[in-house]
Amino acid sequence: MTFVWKTLYLALVLAGGYQLTTRGIPWLYTCLGRRLGFSMKMTPITEKRVLRFKSIRRGHWSFVAISSLFVTSLFLELIVNERPLVIRFDGRTEFPALRDWTNKVLFFVDFPVFLPKNEFGQSGGGEVDYGFFRRSCDDPSLLDERITDAQEKAAKARARFEKLDPPGTDDSEFAKSRYEQRKITHEKRTQQLVDLQHSQEVFEAGEAGIVPTLYPYSPNSLRHSLDKPPPNKPSLGEGIPLGTTVAGRDVLVLLVYGFRISLAFALIVAVCGYAVGVITGGIQGYYGGWVDIGTQRFQEIWGSIPFLFTIMIIASLVTPSFAVLAFLMIVLRSWLGITFYVRGEFYREKAKDYVQAAIGSGVSDWKIITKHILPNSLVPVVTFAPFGIVAYIGALVSLDYLGFGLPPGTPSWGALLRQGLENVRFYPYLVFIPVAALASTLYGVVMVGEAVREAFDPKVFSRLR
Amino acid sequence: MHGMTSYFIRRLLLVPLTFACITFLVYSVIRLAPGGPIEQAQHQIRQAAMSEGGGGAALGTGQEFELPQEAMDQLKRYYKLDKPIYLGYLIWLGVWPDETKNGAFSGIAQGDFGTSYRYSDPVLDTIISKFPISIYFGLIGYIATWVVCIPLGVKKALEHRSAFDTVSSLAVFLGYSIPGFVAALALMLIFATDNFGMQILPLGDFRSEGWDEMWAQGEIWWCVKDQVSHTIIPLIAYMLAGFATMTILMKNSLLDNLGADYVRTAFAKGLSEKRVVFMHALRNSLIPICVGVGHAIGLLFAGSFLIEKTCNIPGMGLLGFNSLVERDYPVLMGILTIGVIIRLTGNIISDIVLALVDPRVRFG
Repeated sequence: MTFVWKTLYLALVLAGGYQLTTRGIPWLYTCLGRRLGFSMKMTPITEKRVLRFKSIRRGHWSFVAISSLFVTSLFLELIVNERPLVIRFDGRTEFPALRDWTNKVLFFVDFPVFLPKNEFGQSGGGEVDYGFFRRSCDDPSLLDERITDAQEKAAKARARFEKLDPPGTDDSEFAKSRYEQRKITHEKRTQQLVDLQHSQEVFEAGEAGIVPTLYPYSPNSLRHSLDKPPPNKPSLGEGIPLGTTVAGRDVLVLLVYGFRISLAFALIVAVCGYAVGVITGGIQGYYGGWVDIGTQRFQEIWGSIPFLFTIMIIASLVTPSFAVLAFLMIVLRSWLGITFYVRGEFYREKAKDYVQAAIGSGVSDWKIITKHILPNSLVPVVTFAPFGIVAYIGALVSLDYLGFGLPPGTPSWGALLRQGLENVRFYPYLVFIPVAALASTLYGVVMVGEAVREAFDPKVFSRLR
Repeated sequence: MHGMTSYFIRRLLLVPLTFACITFLVYSVIRLAPGGPIEQAQHQIRQAAMSEGGGGAALGTGQEFELPQEAMDQLKRYYKLDKPIYLGYLIWLGVWPDETKNGAFSGIAQGDFGTSYRYSDPVLDTIISKFPISIYFGLIGYIATWVVCIPLGVKKALEHRSAFDTVSSLAVFLGYSIPGFVAALALMLIFATDNFGMQILPLGDFRSEGWDEMWAQGEIWWCVKDQVSHTIIPLIAYMLAGFATMTILMKNSLLDNLGADYVRTAFAKGLSEKRVVFMHALRNSLIPICVGVGHAIGLLFAGSFLIEKTCNIPGMGLLGFNSLVERDYPVLMGILTIGVIIRLTGNIISDIVLALVDPRVRFG
C-alpha cells in the first residue's frame, strides 16, 4: 500500500515540477521583464523559431523532460532527505527538511538542522535516528527492548552504587572519587530509564508524529540497517531500488543529487562563460582594428592551454569547491568558443544600415552594442548552449572520475563511475546505473541542441534530382 | 600570395610566444604550490626520526628533526628550486646558465627535460618510450574514423531525410553524447566481464602479460590475436570523440556541394549521377575534413588520460596522470611541453593543408 502512495506522491511531485517549469517560470520571467520595463512580446521571427522548435517533438520533449526534472531537483531536500519534513514530539514541532532546503537555496543563512537525540525521546548522543523514530511512532512497543535494556543497566548501576557506603572525611581520595563516579552513573542510568519510559508514554499517547520525505535517505547517510554488509545489489524488496555503494551510501540518492549538481554546474558555467564571451566577441566585432587583433591573439594563446590538465594540476594542490571549479572552467574554457561566432555576427551587423543610422544619429557605442546589435546576433549563443552544456557535464564527470573534481563526499556521477571501474567485475550495477543516467541525460541534451539548431539556424538543401 | 606568406609568418611568430606563456603559467603554478619535493623530503625525514626516536620522540615537538639550513639549501639546489621563479623558468627553458651543471646551458632548448623526481630517469626518454603506444591508438583510431565516417556521411547525404538517415543520426548523436571513457567502461562491463555471459574481450591492459616472450618464441598468430582483442575497446572509445563531428561534417559538406551550381551544370551536361557525386561533389566536400588532419596530430600523440586510465594502457596519458598524482613535476612539465608543441604544430599544419587543398582560401 505504501508503494502505491509513494508512486502517487512521486507523480504529484513530478507533475508539480512540470507545471512550474512550463507555466510558472515563464510567467515569472514575463512579469519580471514587464516590471523592469521591457516589452516581453516575442518578435515574429523568434515566435516562428519557437514554434518550429516545438514542432520537433523529439527535441521539445527532451527539453521539457530535462528542464522539469532539473526544476524538480531544485527542491530535492524536500523530496529525498534523511531528515523529515515535519517531526513532532511532546508538544514540540520542527521542520528539519525545510531548514535544510533553505540553507541550500539561501546560501547566506545557516539554520541549525541538527536535532539531538535526547530531546526527541531517544537515548544517547548525536542526531535523531529518524528511521527508528518513525518505526516507534507506528509501534511504541519497539521501545520495550530498549527499556528492558535500560532497566537492567539502571539496576546494575544502582547495585554497584549501593554496595559502597558514603565515604567519611578520613577516607582516601580514591574512595571519594569512586563513590562520586558511581553516583553519577547511577543517576544517569536512572534518568535514561525515566526518559525512555516517558518517551514511550508520549509515543503511546500519539503525541509524537513524523512526516518523512518521499525517499528518506541523504547522500551522506549510510544504509546500516540492511542484512548484508555493503555493497548491496539493487533490490526493490529491501528498499534499495538501485543498490548501495561500497561504503553503504544509497546509489539512488547519489544519482539524483548528482544530476542536480552536474546540471547546475553546466548551466552556471555556460551562462557565465557565454556572458563573458558575448561581451568580448561584441567588443571585438564592433571596434575591430587593434582591439580585435590583440584580443584575438590573446585568445589563441589562452585557447592552447590544455584546460582539463591545468584544472587537474590546480585541483591536485588545493581541493576545489564547486564555485572554484566553475570559475576555473569559465576562465579557462567556456568563454572562448562563442566569441568567434559573436564577433562574426557583430562584423556582419555593423555594416548594415540600421547600425550605421544609429551611429550617425549619435547613439552611444554601449547602447548600440547592447540594444541594437546584440538582440540580432544571439542565434549562435542559443544554438551552441546545449552542446556546451553537454561538454561541461562531461568535463565535470571526467574530473570527478579522476578524483580531481568536487571535494570527496559530494554526490557526483564521476565518483560513482570511479567506484564502478574499481568494482566492474563483481558489482556491475555500480557501472551500469551511472552510465545509463549519464548517457540518457547527455543524449537528451544533445537532442535538444539538435532541435534548437534546426529551429534557429535551419539549413535548406536544394538538390537537383 | 603576399598576404598568405605574411599570415604564416605571423602565425609562426606567435608560436614561441604561446609556448612561453603556457609553460610559464604552469611552471609558476607548480613552483608556488605547496607539497613540493622539499616538503615531501622534510616530511619523510620527520617521520623516520619519529619512528626511530621511539620513546624519546614523545619528548620533542618535532622541532629538532627539521633539516639543517645547509641540507635544505642543498636539496633546493638539487631540485632546482633555489632560484626565483623567473630565473628557474629561464634555466628550465635553457637560456640561462645552470649552476648545477657548471654554468652550462641545460634546458629544453638543449633537449634536457630534467630527471624524474620519482624514478630518476631522464624525462625525455620516459616520454619517448610511451610514444609508440599513443601513436598506435591515435593512428589506428584516426584511420578507422575516416574509413567509417566518410562512407557513412556520403550515404546519409545521398539519402537525406530517409529512414536510414534519421536512424543513423540518432545512433551518431548517442555516440556524441557519451564520453569516450564512459563508453569504454560500459563496453568493458558487457564484453570483458562475466556479468552478461559475453566475456570475449580482455579487461583492460595494452597486451597480455607474457606477450613479449610469446613474440620471441615466434607465436605470431597468438600475439596478433591478443593485441587485436586488447585494442578493440579503447579503439572504439578513441573513435567516439571525433566520430559524430566528422560524419555530420561530411554529410553537410556534401549536401552543400550537391546544391551548388557546378553540380547542376554537370547534371545538365548529361553526366551520370555517380560521376557527378563521386568525381565532382565529393572531392570538394572533402576539403573541410582534410583540415582536421593537423588537429589529429595532437590526438595521435597526446592520448587521452581518461581512456588510458580506464583501460589501464601505459601511454602518454597515463604517464601524465601518474606524474600528477605522484607530484613528479619534471615529467609533468615535459608532457605538457611536448603536448603544447604538438598542438601548435598541428594547428599550423591544418592551415597549410587547407591552403594547399583549397585554392580559394586566402588568409590575411
